Amino acid sequence: MIQSYISEIGRSAKSYCEHTARTQPTLSDIVVTLVEMGFNVETLPAYAKRSQRMVITAPPVTNQPVTPKALTAGQNKPHPPHIPGHFPEFPDPHTYIKTPTYREPVSDYQVLREKAASQRRDVERALTRFMAKTGETQSLFKDDVSTFPLIAARPFTVPYLTALLPSELEMQQMEETDSSEQDEQTDTENLPLHMSTEEAGPEKENSSVLQQSSSLAGSRNGEENVIDNPYLRPVKKPKIRRKK
Amino acid sequence: MNRKKGDKGFESPRPYKLTHQVVCINNINFQRKSVVGYVELTIFPTVANLNRIKLNSKQCRIYRVRVNDLEAAFIYNDPTLEVCHHESKQRNLNYFSNAYAAAVSAVDPDAGNGELCIKVPSELWKHVDELKVLKVHINFSLDQPKGGLHFVVPDMEGNMAERGAHVFSCGYQNSTRFWFPCVDSYSELCTWKLEYTVDAAMVAVSNGDLVETVYTHDMRKKTFHYMLTIPTAASNISLAIGPFEILVDPYMHEVTHFCLPQLLPLLKHTTSYLHEVFEFYEEILTCRYPYSCFKTVFIDEAYVEVAAYASMSIFSTNLLHSAMIIDETPLTRRCLAQALAQQFFGCFISRMSWSDEWVLKGISGYIYGLWMKKTFGVNEYRHWIKQELDQIVAYELKTGGVLLHPIFGGGKEKDNPASHLHFSIKHPHTLSWEYYTMFQCKAHLVMRLIENRISMEFMLQVFNKLLSLASTASSQKFQSHMWSQMLVSTSGFLKSISNVSGKDIQPLIKQWVDQSGVVKFYGSFAFNRKRNVLELEIKQDYTSPGTQKYVGPLKVTVQELDGSFNHTLQIEENSLKHDIPCHSKSRRNKKKKIPLMNGEEVDMDLSAMDADSPLLWIRIDPDMSVLRKVEFEQSDFMWQYQLRYERDVVAQEEAILALEKFPTPASRLALTDILEQEQCFYRVRMLACFCLAKIANSMVSTWTGPPAMKSLFTRMFCCKTCPNIVKTNNFMNFQSYFLQKTMPVAMALLRDVHNLCPKEVLMFILDLIKYNDNRKNKFSDNYYRAELIDALANSVTPAVSVNNEVRTLDNLNPDVRLILEEITRFLNMEKLLPSYRHTITVSCLKAIRVLQKNGHVPSDPALFKSYAEYGHFVDVRIAALEAVVDYTKVDRSYEELQWLLSMVQNDPVPYIRHKILDMLTKNPPFTKNMESPLCNEALVDQLWKLMNSGTSHDWRLRCGAVDLYFTLFGLSRPSCLPLPELGLVLNLKEKKAVLNPTIIPESVANNQEPVISSNNHGQSVGFQNTFSNSQEEEEIDMDTVHDSQAFIYHHLNMLERPSTPGKEQSSGEITMHPVSAAPLSVFSKESNSSKHSDHHHHHHHEHKKKKKKHKHKHKHKHKHDTKEKEKDPFVFSNSPASARSIRSPSLSD
Repeated sequence: MIQSYISEIGRSAKSYCEHTARTQPTLSDIVVTLVEMGFNVETLPAYAKRSQRMVITAPPVTNQPVTPKALTAGQNKPHPPHIPGHFPEFPDPHTYIKTPTYREPVSDYQVLREKAASQRRDVERALTRFMAKTGETQSLFKDDVSTFPLIAARPFTVPYLTALLPSELEMQQMEETDSSEQDEQTDTENLPLHMSTEEAGPEKENSSVLQQSSSLAGSRNGEENVIDNPYLRPVKKPKIRRKK
Repeated sequence: MNRKKGDKGFESPRPYKLTHQVVCINNINFQRKSVVGYVELTIFPTVANLNRIKLNSKQCRIYRVRVNDLEAAFIYNDPTLEVCHHESKQRNLNYFSNAYAAAVSAVDPDAGNGELCIKVPSELWKHVDELKVLKVHINFSLDQPKGGLHFVVPDMEGNMAERGAHVFSCGYQNSTRFWFPCVDSYSELCTWKLEYTVDAAMVAVSNGDLVETVYTHDMRKKTFHYMLTIPTAASNISLAIGPFEILVDPYMHEVTHFCLPQLLPLLKHTTSYLHEVFEFYEEILTCRYPYSCFKTVFIDEAYVEVAAYASMSIFSTNLLHSAMIIDETPLTRRCLAQALAQQFFGCFISRMSWSDEWVLKGISGYIYGLWMKKTFGVNEYRHWIKQELDQIVAYELKTGGVLLHPIFGGGKEKDNPASHLHFSIKHPHTLSWEYYTMFQCKAHLVMRLIENRISMEFMLQVFNKLLSLASTASSQKFQSHMWSQMLVSTSGFLKSISNVSGKDIQPLIKQWVDQSGVVKFYGSFAFNRKRNVLELEIKQDYTSPGTQKYVGPLKVTVQELDGSFNHTLQIEENSLKHDIPCHSKSRRNKKKKIPLMNGEEVDMDLSAMDADSPLLWIRIDPDMSVLRKVEFEQSDFMWQYQLRYERDVVAQEEAILALEKFPTPASRLALTDILEQEQCFYRVRMLACFCLAKIANSMVSTWTGPPAMKSLFTRMFCCKTCPNIVKTNNFMNFQSYFLQKTMPVAMALLRDVHNLCPKEVLMFILDLIKYNDNRKNKFSDNYYRAELIDALANSVTPAVSVNNEVRTLDNLNPDVRLILEEITRFLNMEKLLPSYRHTITVSCLKAIRVLQKNGHVPSDPALFKSYAEYGHFVDVRIAALEAVVDYTKVDRSYEELQWLLSMVQNDPVPYIRHKILDMLTKNPPFTKNMESPLCNEALVDQLWKLMNSGTSHDWRLRCGAVDLYFTLFGLSRPSCLPLPELGLVLNLKEKKAVLNPTIIPESVANNQEPVISSNNHGQSVGFQNTFSNSQEEEEIDMDTVHDSQAFIYHHLNMLERPSTPGKEQSSGEITMHPVSAAPLSVFSKESNSSKHSDHHHHHHHEHKKKKKKHKHKHKHKHKHDTKEKEKDPFVFSNSPASARSIRSPSLSD
């Protein structure tokens, strides 16, 4: 009851004060409120001066808790002249200042090779170990199957394909190493006559190849009718009177 | 008789001439591996009374034979199916070889024989008498052929074309009879029409021109029609069917290449060189390629790497390679060139008889050599000649001689030309494969000798003459008698040579062609200072097997201070010493350059020389114009000079080999200098690596500096800044590539004082592996890596304890652990990123076997067995099998031997089957003079069965089995067999302590006439004696022919439907005995005496009887021709074979 009564007084007093475009309620606001609520204001000074009134002492003053100082790194930058002073201060420098830390890249050839080699070896070992763990294995020692696990040999249905065709990795490498040769060979698929010929073998390669294949490509249209290979001829439809 | 055909007097052994043959294969079933078709032969009788036509056919099931549309009776009899009766307990190789040779001649088309005998219907006899044309139409089928045609059907999803299933013809020499009935002779030429109906997704490649391709009515199949208008022998007919990718050669449109699906890019690269080979041959022979087209087919599971047939060649698909592969490129090109050379000589020009084979092999090998010289250079060519020469010399010294031109005159052979061999050389089909390889090698070397004699120009003229004669003859479409001009004979060839060159090369021919053996020279010298003369002593060894005496000129080159001088010595009967005057005074001319043979003048450091002698080095027969082995003694500094300054690669190689015996710092220096010299031939440098390793090992206590070659390798291939790291791979320079590959392998052979591989070397190799980086390389490094693994394997030395039990992981030597680590990683990586031809797997398997053998890893064949299974790449399988063979030998494992032998019988790939036998022969689990737990009766029986009947579908395999049997048990009865009871009986009869005839050691058995004739009176003569008697070879052969024919009665029940079943033979046998005619009745009378008599006892009697009859009959029989022999019923009735013909209603007239 008391609480709601008191808060009602406060609320109404605030309303009155705001009504008169002020922010701080004054005594008169409270008086008006009390009058409004039907309280006899004249009795109030008498009540305050009653003899057996309880006095509530003021709470002891406690030390203001010290807010820990935010970690500051370096001096906050003052505003430059074009920024008005009321703008907030710059944050701590560490939030926007970059500190370039240069580590020398390893350029030593030896270390590089060493690294590449051991990296590759680790990858390979990890990969093969994984494969060995997940699949069937063979072992050279009867007492130990895990130190030198060999991935079990599995026969192929067409063994010559894997043995003869270069792997994708190698193909990639090929393209990287001689990408210059590639442009000529774009339309090799459809015609057997246009060839990626390596002239006299690995010794003397690039220049002559380019010449040849381009000359072949050039004269292709003219030559097409000349080629008369029986294996390229269309298959004949059976005749009613068939040859035997 | 109109036998006088052709200028060269070729006489057909047949009473008819074949002019045309149609082969039509209507249906090929890949699932069932069967073939159905017919053939039609157009023949002209050449004698009036022709009533039987003999043709060759094996495996084929023949349904029906018609002659001019009339049904004809026929019999099918193939004595080679089972060579000796299986009742025979002889188990004696001598006996077998004779019987086998006899069986082969009994069906030899060159003797007018054949497996299939067709009786001309009596209605046609009149027709025949007028010598009118006969058309023989034969319907046949082939079910699961074991030889001749090879089906490759991968086991996977999809239809046959998607699976890449294919079939091709294959075989050793004339093997066409395995897939259709024909006259399977190289001398019977005719024109051909070939038709194959195949699945629409497949391509049929065959000989001659593809005329047209027509769909069948249901459009699901198509028929390929081929015409071959150039007369060709049936043996040169071939076929390949599969879902091939087609590539028309961009340079020559009449050349077409075929390969299996997905391999087209490789095919393009591989064949892109072929046109140059064509151009080369056409140019040197001044003759166009004889056929109108050429086809190359690359197939899987090839029988041989290269097989040449008329207008087409069949290659192994494993020859294909991409542009990244270095090592395979020259090998493949060689194969292509070889195949093409055989198109001219071998396919287009065929041979008259087997004894003329050497001419064809010789010429094709010779022109192939010319191509090599042009393509790879003189160094490579000379190196190759030297290699071939060394091979043939080693083989002849080992086995006792290779005879190029065996002459089999009638009865009066002075000596069996091949008595030192365990097989007959009368027929190509009885030859050991190794012998045949060496035969080809010798043939081309002899051609080269002829060239040396008459000059290359004349030589090529002779070839041109042969070719132009042949092409004229081949264009005579309707004059089939002219076709014999297309056959080459030894005499015709020699006549051509003398016509063209005007030189007499008879002595040369006599020495190298008509006679076997090589020459073995021992040379040494002394310098006579007073006379300023070089006293050369040249001795010969002509008593060891495989040698012969050489009489004639011999070139000797002497390098003196003043230059190089050639001297021709006359090697005569008794002159050993030869005085050669020297040109230079021994006083050394100061500061003068020394002229070499090639005109070059070089500075030499002469301080090493003997001050008194002006001789730098001496070479005997530098041009290799004698088939010889030279062992020459000269001091080490002379070899060193020879190595450094002689420009001939052969001389350099000889010097390197000689220097092995002189481990001195000077030798080391000479070798190192050669290694470093960029101009030096790379093969010489490679050889120097190995020699250096050997020298270093001999000098181990005095060796100073880092291990041999290490600093050299570092300088050549490692980074300048960090010498322990190898450069990233760049194989653009092939010479250094090969050197880079070889040096680690040689270095790993180094040993320290404890006979271990130095730690430094091992670490070096491990570093090479570690730092190997191929990312920037244009070429694949698979061969390089494989050789690094080989190097690791080379570094392995025997473990301290070899006991199998203690080979555990804990006991593993730390060095070996490192090695094993690498091998494991490599082998596993191969599963993920396989290398070309799986070279790395191959090397790993070999290395693992080395570790097992040296006692580091438990010896266990299980790993190898899994890699040897069907389905792995063939190189891998061979490597694995080699390890198993080695295991079998080292651990004497009966189980593994059985496993290998069952693979010989059951493996789908003929090459593997052949190779296992070959490897077992080269690395046998035991030999004839060795005690071994493996050598037991069961094994003898098993091997005997294998060669007797188990391998009748493949000549090469059978000969391989014979070789193995010979290696294991020798010529006579295997020692592990119990003494035959028969032998004991005989001994009792003779009442003296005679050796059991079946176990007489070879030396005795091989003895000549006297032994036999003394025993000849009684029937007690041992079987073996009868057969090993070379003088009576002819009669014996006849006997064995009949003997082998005796089992034909098995086929009686098959008259209606003759085929060549494997198992059924034994069934009808016992019941047939009583009805057999004359010779067998002998048996029934005589054999009563001994209850326990085995079947060979019967034979034994039979043979004696027959032999007596034949002895007189034979003489006049020889005067008659073979035809009359056939006509004479009495000759035939002697043989058990005729017993059947009497019973047979269809043949009784």
